[in-house]
Amino acid sequence: MVQELLASPPGLMNFAIFFLLAAILLMVILGFVTYAILAERKVMGFMQLRHGPNQVGGRWGLLQTVADVLKLLIKEDTIPKLADRPLFILAPVIAFAPAFLVLAVIPFTDKLQFADIGVGLLYYIAISGISTVGVVTGGWASNNKYALLGGMRAAAQMISYEIPLVMSLLGVILLSGSLNLNDIVSAQSHGWFIIKQPIAFIIFIIASIAELNRTPFDLPEAESELVAGFHVEYSGFRWAFFMLSEYVYLFAMAALTTVLFLGGWGALPFLGFIPGAVWFSLKFSLIVFILIWVRVTLPRLRADQLMEFGWKVLLPAALANIFLTAILKELF
Amino acid sequence: MIGLAKGFSYTLKNLTRKKVTYDYPNEPLPLPDRFRGIQKFYPEKCIVCNQCSNICPTDCIQLTGKKHPDPSKKGKIIDTYDINFEICILCDLCTEVCPTEAIIMTNNFELAEYSRDQLFKDLVWLDENDEHIRRVNKP
Repeated sequence: MVQELLASPPGLMNFAIFFLLAAILLMVILGFVTYAILAERKVMGFMQLRHGPNQVGGRWGLLQTVADVLKLLIKEDTIPKLADRPLFILAPVIAFAPAFLVLAVIPFTDKLQFADIGVGLLYYIAISGISTVGVVTGGWASNNKYALLGGMRAAAQMISYEIPLVMSLLGVILLSGSLNLNDIVSAQSHGWFIIKQPIAFIIFIIASIAELNRTPFDLPEAESELVAGFHVEYSGFRWAFFMLSEYVYLFAMAALTTVLFLGGWGALPFLGFIPGAVWFSLKFSLIVFILIWVRVTLPRLRADQLMEFGWKVLLPAALANIFLTAILKELF
Repeated sequence: MIGLAKGFSYTLKNLTRKKVTYDYPNEPLPLPDRFRGIQKFYPEKCIVCNQCSNICPTDCIQLTGKKHPDPSKKGKIIDTYDINFEICILCDLCTEVCPTEAIIMTNNFELAEYSRDQLFKDLVWLDENDEHIRRVNKP
């Protein structure tokens, strides 16, 4: 269905259809974010021997996030007097828009995707780099030294970890011979890339956690050190937008990991009767759980350790993986 | 690397372990029998000896008695009995000194009120405070 739509000539009708589809996707994403936050708090609670939210919305706390978001939306919208007003308002938008844009290329199943770009993976990496600009803008426009410090840290970290992230993907690209995410999924029909590229997978997971600014790489936010990092001066719905973009990136990154390393919507052998959407959501949920699990288990890194780990461990490992993959590909 | 694996397996095992939290406002906390909480008062046991009022270090107990309605009996019965929980320190001396065990500690401790005068508890309130009463009241 989407393939036909993508090939059809431009017009107001097509624009309306795509607008509607995007709106539906946005609603789905908001639903995911609501329950991802709840799931994170629940899993963290259980791992720390407590229950997590269990008051608002029944004994599972199903309305806890809804209540939190409602509180954020009705809060007073404060902008510091000496802040750079236009940039201060623009920063959450710059941070959120790319998070939603990257979702266009993710193939959820063989039928359900919003764009089939030849360089889909490159598009994802390039667009996701823009949200760093939003973070730095927010930090700078606040006119607050802690916010600026947090913004600088965030920029340094996100740029440093972008490189091993991309380098680890080169192995996958070498094996599949394409940057198109559909081709990458179909190249995994005989074996997922997590088996063929285990080193790349580990590097990718670590670098993606750093890209997502989650513990143990949450130095830009670092509640206990930097007040709140780049969004000290933000409150209410602008702050909610930063949080929203963080969790939409979580969705996008988990979906990308599923597509690149876990075979996307592809089924395990002999289990082909289960629909692709179920497979995708199962693998996706597993990745999200692993991300939460890592967050509960590991403490925050020190700033200098963070940089050394990125440049001296992850990058050489990723480069070695590329050479190893190339050699193995030539031999077999 | 082994340390990392240990940490991950520990957090994973914690998922199914018993929780350490209490369901506090819904269930009362398990407290020992010697806990010093808000007193329970038995008007029928009181002989108006005034010892509790006298021993109280913060002077928070006010009581008055009246003659026994049955003229054939001697002594007095209690008329009013008030404890001011703004100043009561829950020291347990009134319950220790009481010769008839007319005043006993309970395990209730929730004294948060919206207004200070609500902390002034009278005879009726203290009589109705009859949950989680101390079972053995020996000094």
